[in-house]
Amino acid sequence: MKRHARRLAPLLLAIGLLAIGWGGTAQAQDLVSGISQDVVQITSNYTGTDIVVFGAIERELNTQNRDIVVVVRGPDEPMTVRRRDRVAGVWVNRDAARFEGLPAYYYLAATKPVAQIASREALARYGLGLQALQPSAIGSHHDPEPFRQAAIRYHRRVGLYTENPGSIDFLSETLFRTRVPVPAGVTRGQYNVEVYLFRDGQVVSVQSTPLFVDATGLERRLFNMAHDAPLSYGLACVFMAMLLGWISAVLFRRPD
Amino acid sequence: MEIYLPVAEMSVNWLIIIALGTGVGFLSGMFGVGGGFLMTPLLVFTGIPSTVAVATTLSHVTASSMSGALTQWRKRAIDFTMAAIMLVGGVAGTLFGVWLFALMRRQGQMDLIVALSYVVMLGGIGFIMLRESLATLKAYRSGVTISSRPVNRGWIQALPFKMRFRQSRLYISVIPPIGIGFVVGMLSAIMGIGGGFIIVPAMIYLLRMPTRVVMGTSLVQIIAVTAITTVLQATSNYAVDIVLAGLLVSGGVVGAQLGVRAGARLRGEQLRFLLAVLVLVVGAGLAWQLVARPADVYSLSEGAP
Repeated sequence: MKRHARRLAPLLLAIGLLAIGWGGTAQAQDLVSGISQDVVQITSNYTGTDIVVFGAIERELNTQNRDIVVVVRGPDEPMTVRRRDRVAGVWVNRDAARFEGLPAYYYLAATKPVAQIASREALARYGLGLQALQPSAIGSHHDPEPFRQAAIRYHRRVGLYTENPGSIDFLSETLFRTRVPVPAGVTRGQYNVEVYLFRDGQVVSVQSTPLFVDATGLERRLFNMAHDAPLSYGLACVFMAMLLGWISAVLFRRPD
Repeated sequence: MEIYLPVAEMSVNWLIIIALGTGVGFLSGMFGVGGGFLMTPLLVFTGIPSTVAVATTLSHVTASSMSGALTQWRKRAIDFTMAAIMLVGGVAGTLFGVWLFALMRRQGQMDLIVALSYVVMLGGIGFIMLRESLATLKAYRSGVTISSRPVNRGWIQALPFKMRFRQSRLYISVIPPIGIGFVVGMLSAIMGIGGGFIIVPAMIYLLRMPTRVVMGTSLVQIIAVTAITTVLQATSNYAVDIVLAGLLVSGGVVGAQLGVRAGARLRGEQLRFLLAVLVLVVGAGLAWQLVARPADVYSLSEGAP
């Protein structure tokens, strides 16, 4: 708890400043938001972290039909989904569908389930909710829908796609925050944090902030080396294996 | 205890990986095999993608073979001429295997090919070893010694391009060694194995090499083939994870040395019997995965098909 409080202190300060600053320009903006850190660095002992998305909205009399949706989207990644069928008693990959435009990571937090916030068309337009993820299918000669569902199911299972309604905390009438997990299996690249303010099912304001996820230090150098200088990388691997084998043979040498 | 693998792009518990390396190293030292056939399925079981598992296990095999080869070299029990000739076939087989590996990966059949080759190889070898070791154990008990050195060399002797192998005291055609090298090189690329459990029987029963030089010569061959395959996998499939390799090798070389000591206490046919059981268990497990209904019939891979 103490650790939490320490981490949150600068955040609350930021929210406070934000609220004050926002007070002056109330007419111009009815939504201001920010994130606790704009770079997530993957180090050798990275097991996942949380970022906090926070913001302030205009004070108003009717808060009944006012909703907030926070979406964190990873970089798009081409994916291939394959279906296994039983052939002669053995499960073999048969049909496949290739998708372009599915994000590598998708996290949605909202004040209530998105289906209750806005119409299906509105959600589809902004890509809100897992059912609104409509990638283009390439090179499939059959109905891509079950394959799309399978891709979403897979990502949900490994924790890369999450829809989390009711997870936005209001600190006061106007200040809100939510915690977004960045698990260990995330792809490197540019992420986008989007905050939507809905009123009566209509988007009235949107704020978008980039978030960078990157490997640092040794991990990054090794990854780059494996792709940019694969020959020396492979030779280094072989050399290391031979050296360790040789050392062990010398260390454990028996008097014969 | 978590460590991030830069090429596999995932976090693993490094204690588990070192323990795996040590355990497989122990068995490989005890039985005198590289252990790739155990390591690859175990790594896949811990969630490492099979392409990375196949390509990275090779470093583990290189290291444990290096350790064993040095011991044999001190005893002058290596036929370098034979190793060189086999390597000619080995290089060709490796190139072919890496090409096939990339092709299968594009077709989405990599996992199936790896699993099928394992089931066939492990089932076959396990069965042969089990039968042979049981026969020897039985003969040992009834006090009969059976000669395992068949007389007839048949078609091998009839082949052209003969060459003299001084260390092995052989005068045979270069075609069988090149052929064996090719098959082993190909399997090493596809399955992530050194191929010791194929080379050793082939050298003894097909080439009729004296048992004294078989171990050392096969180890030299395995080092060369796994080293070449590692470099090829790194350059054409970017599938070698050096952090994972480092962990496996560190555990492996220690385990191998301990295994050699443990193995010295058991008799040959007892070892072969235990190894046969182990091989058959791994093979049966993989076969089960092929025929059992998967939890989800859909699977996903990143990138183009």
